[in-house]
Amino acid sequence: MQVFLQTLIGGVTFGAVYALVAMGFSIVYRTMGLVNFAHGSVVMIGAYAASTFYLASKLPFAVAIVVAIAVTGLIGLVIERFLRPLENKDFTLMLIGTIGFGAVLEAGAVLVWGATGHAVPSPVATEPIDLAGVRIPTYNVLVIAVAAAATGLLALFLQRTKRGAAMQAVAMDHQAATAVGIHVGRSNAMAFAIGAGLAALAGSLVGPMLYVNPTMGGTLGIKGFAAAMLGGFGSMPGAIVGGLAFGLLDSFAAGNFQEYSELVTFLVFAAVVMIRPTGIFGEATVNRA
Amino acid sequence: MRSPILAAAFILLAACAPPGQSNQSGAGATGPIKIANVNAQSGQLSSLGQWEHKGVKLAVDEANKAGGVNGRQIQLDLFDSQGDPTVGTNLARKIAGEGYVAMLGTAESAVTLAMAPILKDAKIPNITSGQSPKLAELKSPFLFLNAPTSVTFDETLAKYLVDEKGHKKIALISNNGAYGSGEHDAFLAALKTRNLTPPADEVVTPDQKDFNANLAKIREKDPEVLFIGAEEVQSGLIAKQARELGLKAVFAGGAPMGTDVYATTAGLKNAEGSIVSSPYLSNDASEAIKAFAAKYKAAYNEEARMHVAKAYDGASILIEALKQTNGEGGQKLADAIRGVKRAGLLGDYDYDANGVGIHTTKIGLVKDGKVVPEAAS
Repeated sequence: MQVFLQTLIGGVTFGAVYALVAMGFSIVYRTMGLVNFAHGSVVMIGAYAASTFYLASKLPFAVAIVVAIAVTGLIGLVIERFLRPLENKDFTLMLIGTIGFGAVLEAGAVLVWGATGHAVPSPVATEPIDLAGVRIPTYNVLVIAVAAAATGLLALFLQRTKRGAAMQAVAMDHQAATAVGIHVGRSNAMAFAIGAGLAALAGSLVGPMLYVNPTMGGTLGIKGFAAAMLGGFGSMPGAIVGGLAFGLLDSFAAGNFQEYSELVTFLVFAAVVMIRPTGIFGEATVNRA
Repeated sequence: MRSPILAAAFILLAACAPPGQSNQSGAGATGPIKIANVNAQSGQLSSLGQWEHKGVKLAVDEANKAGGVNGRQIQLDLFDSQGDPTVGTNLARKIAGEGYVAMLGTAESAVTLAMAPILKDAKIPNITSGQSPKLAELKSPFLFLNAPTSVTFDETLAKYLVDEKGHKKIALISNNGAYGSGEHDAFLAALKTRNLTPPADEVVTPDQKDFNANLAKIREKDPEVLFIGAEEVQSGLIAKQARELGLKAVFAGGAPMGTDVYATTAGLKNAEGSIVSSPYLSNDASEAIKAFAAKYKAAYNEEARMHVAKAYDGASILIEALKQTNGEGGQKLADAIRGVKRAGLLGDYDYDANGVGIHTTKIGLVKDGKVVPEAAS
């Protein structure tokens, strides 16, 4: 039982991070119908930015995260601005453009921070919580709480604000949205900025749990992408459920299938997607091209 | 009509000949001697690759300043393997086709294993920092290891843990990459010869980040020692998560656990007391090592470490061998490397038939993030 619960803790923590990454993928996809392949690299830039402001500039961790979100939000805006001329014209070029941006961001990180990476000490120094032998690191609790709060805020923004409603409208029918006076370009830019901000949040939170280096976005990006697919690409609740499901699947596979864990994780993922191609919360796919 | 064909055939034959036999790199050549340095300069293992390159470059720069190899300068060209065996095989073909007399690197066993057959066919000696027992099993006459294999590392470790300290409950966690699986097999074999069976033997993947499930299973067995067979970052993550789970076992492993990357990733408190088997324990171990560390610090403004010293030793041996062959490569250079006896930074080099240069390691303990020799602790 202890092993089961301990596995659950690890799965939920990493699942919360995957969910944040998946939400970033989904918000861009539902608004523009575009998979942002630079998203994993933005996660990495977020991790670097937060850890640098936290370690070198000695900012409190929470402030460092906010600064990192601002930095990556800006990067999101730049990516969208570069892709905007291709909107509704060449979807494939847009996709390649995001891949290119990912490579540029990785190379940029090597130039700025070097290739070796750095470890980030945990900002929470307290001992893990012990619940009848099941140990929950306090930092893991913080990660889950912050991810849940960010999810709640995003839901409020999308459902209760005018700008959020406008983004939803663009996602549903961008031509009709344009007709009623919604600026589609601005809405897309906001989607990119929010997506990048979520990536930065995921990267910042995962930094003290991992080792920050230029290639860390690869694994997190792939798992976040798979989580978004599992939940239903473009669906925000799907991204959350997909992220948690993927985290748990990963964690339990590691415990039960040892060196074959990754194989098992992706086999289960492939089976779910084959049975339900649109994911758990499958919505009609968006395609602007 | 006939002479252009003959000329083309001659050029083709010259291009196919081993570098040691080509005019450009042979004994009579006067131009620079081309040496390839292949290591990960990007990707997850780039820290190793960058240290290795700096170690090699230091040795080559010194040699060039001192007049090169019998008057010829060494041209050191760096290639980024990205830690990827596929990239490595492409680079091996490139090196074979562009007149390099030897290759230094890589730090990753998987990449070296992938490159070895191509370099063997091209008769290009390769001095690698990989330590997988599979490298020695290849028995390639052109492959040399500038450190012991995992068998030596883990035999020393098992001898210390079991024979000297009397530990019986030793659990294992290792990854299934080339390095991790080599460590796993070698340490398990060392335990078996002592009639010990590990209470837990968890295998993870090289990309795994969450070890809660594996470590919770290990915790149930309450081992005295946890052997970690993984690279620097993953070893650190395992140690950190193990302590968070309340695992009290002493951590033990090979050279990666003697690095600052391990200590900072695990957290200094968590890494404290880790037992390391390594041929290079600290920058203060001897006068020669102290002098080397000072030289390295002056050149790169950072602390020297095992991977730097390892690469420096390998490059120094190659330079010594090149002086003997007068810059010639091929079989002659491989034979010369095998004949070099050198008191290096990692130990006394004496290559055996499998290309292994060093046959002993020492035990060290991590104190405040740095390794100190066990006897001095």
